[in-house]
Amino acid sequence: MAEISLPDETRHAVELIHQADIVVGIPSYNSVRTIGHVVQAAHAGLAKYFRQFISVVINSDGGSKDGTREAVLGTRVEDTHMLLISTPLFPVHRLSFPYHGIPGKGSAFRSIFEVAKMLGAKACIVVDSDLRSITPEWIDLLVRPILLADYDLVAPYYHRHKYDGTITNSIVYPLTRSLYGLAVRQPIGGDFGISARLVSRYLERKDWETDVARYGVDIWMTTIALAESFRVCQSFLGAKLHDAKDPGSDLTSMLTQVVGSVFTLMQEYETAWKEQSGSHRADLFGFRYDVGLDPIEVNTDRMLAAFRNGCKDLGEIWALALHPDNHKALLALSCRANEDSKRFHIEDELWVRVIYDFASAYKNRPLERGHLLRSLTPLYLARVASFVVEAHSLLPPEFEEKIEQLCLCFEKLKPYLISRWNGEAISGPAPALSSPAANVGEISKR
Amino acid sequence: MIETLHTIMEGAVERLSYQVTTILPGLLAGLVILLGAYLIARGVYWLLQRIFKGIALNRFLVQSGISTMLDRSGRFNATRLVAATSYWIILLVGCLTALSAFDTNLTSRIIERVVFLFPALVTAALIVLGGAWLGQYLSRSTLVWAVNEGIPSPRRLSAVVRLIILFVAVVVAADQLSFARNVFFAAFIILVGGAVLAGSLALGLGSRGVVQRYFERKASDSEMPMERSLQDHL
Repeated sequence: MAEISLPDETRHAVELIHQADIVVGIPSYNSVRTIGHVVQAAHAGLAKYFRQFISVVINSDGGSKDGTREAVLGTRVEDTHMLLISTPLFPVHRLSFPYHGIPGKGSAFRSIFEVAKMLGAKACIVVDSDLRSITPEWIDLLVRPILLADYDLVAPYYHRHKYDGTITNSIVYPLTRSLYGLAVRQPIGGDFGISARLVSRYLERKDWETDVARYGVDIWMTTIALAESFRVCQSFLGAKLHDAKDPGSDLTSMLTQVVGSVFTLMQEYETAWKEQSGSHRADLFGFRYDVGLDPIEVNTDRMLAAFRNGCKDLGEIWALALHPDNHKALLALSCRANEDSKRFHIEDELWVRVIYDFASAYKNRPLERGHLLRSLTPLYLARVASFVVEAHSLLPPEFEEKIEQLCLCFEKLKPYLISRWNGEAISGPAPALSSPAANVGEISKR
Repeated sequence: MIETLHTIMEGAVERLSYQVTTILPGLLAGLVILLGAYLIARGVYWLLQRIFKGIALNRFLVQSGISTMLDRSGRFNATRLVAATSYWIILLVGCLTALSAFDTNLTSRIIERVVFLFPALVTAALIVLGGAWLGQYLSRSTLVWAVNEGIPSPRRLSAVVRLIILFVAVVVAADQLSFARNVFFAAFIILVGGAVLAGSLALGLGSRGVVQRYFERKASDSEMPMERSLQDHL
């Protein structure tokens, strides 16, 4: 593995601290508004729940120009003492340094893991710097399963608005679950607890300088843990509320990085997922409760306009990736999207086939991978629009049931993925798409 | 008079018999060689179609996009490529050998010319192929980008990109072959200059409003909660 270069003063500071039991990593970029709160929560959580452990809070910064690092080092934690009944045995150390390499969340994680390994930490957790809803309990919930129950990866489990986490809901969660057989509800949640064993495994890997360096890192971490049979659980953290990200960052890049990472890892762990059928839920820690959530406004007309444009202009590219029947079905949907956007609907089966076609095309490369992944954006927007239309009047449990049905559909069509993946010609037309109602009935019988 | 006629006739017959005795064997030999080369080429083509699988080459052709570039249906494969290339090379060598059977100054010059031109011809073909590949790659990049960004007429834009790249490749290939250098170069300058001028005028005058509205829409989009929600909530 190519060694990452930590700044000299960081290396020196790590040598001075010498050893730590728990490392809390906070990757950041221009998060001055929120990072103080995250640091305070981390401090309070460590002091309150892990007073007998030596702990370090690390901020790995991507070159913020708004004083994020100064905010980390200058955050006062005296106020948090009122949360504590007993005095911590050791002070909580704090480090803030700029990471080197490809700018992105993954590179920041890599520096954090490197420091955690140097310090011999038993548990390392990472939390986003833009969180507004983090509490000291998050630290406890992410660390305790590792220290006391010997888990290797603690994934977050949040309450989120039904229109929130659309890449997770429509692609990453159902696909990861059907592939590796464990239902981790927020595989790209961003806040994780990781054991020393798993940290070492991550650092051994040679693919840090790919999409992993950017937004692909979350699914990369989860997938490695699942595919290599590390012990994975979830902790209920309440609501996830966070600040708006950099408006300059664009949706297509994020989608490309996340989905590209999933597809790349599918190639690596082909034998693992091909043998897997069905799924079961990952253990869930924490007391579940209902929370109020930020409303999210969605404009489906704009999404459907993007889909129509895609159907009109991207036929050349989609024809190389999609099964002809699926392509035809999408074109027919595009016409229907013109007629009545309020009743627009992409059936689960069609959506699953589209994703499986893209995964297979990514492997078999009938066209350049970047083009393939970027051409997924209009389809993804159409699926989100369909989700929004269908879920408009659904209550959270009903919405979850809908996601569950989608997951089961992903599992049901796994043989289709395997045949497409192996490059086998699907003899005759793809099985006819059933109506949504029939779909539900079929899945219920399972 | 009769004697003169006789002399002329004798000369003509002599010349004809000379030509028949010198050219006909060469012609016959050339035809036989050509026929042999054709039969060998057909045989090699048939054999390669059956025994050559070229899995690795096939994968390269598919993954590099050359396969779909040469045949939209994607049926172009390594077997066809290797068999067709072998067929034409054998036929070309057969033609040159057949020509050399004549052993005249003209045929020698033709063979010499072809042999000397061959590397340049191959280079030019590779340049055009490379240009076509690059054109396809960049035109697809443009197409996907334009669709995702909501730019008007993405297909037209991508076609323009493809044509420009292909045209540049043809200019370079023509230069390599020393073929109508000045014509191509002048056409290239006129085309690029014209395109830049037209683009500037269109942007500056005709499309000012469109561009302004487009950027205003982009600016307002980044403020819209819908976009934020999609970007922020993976």
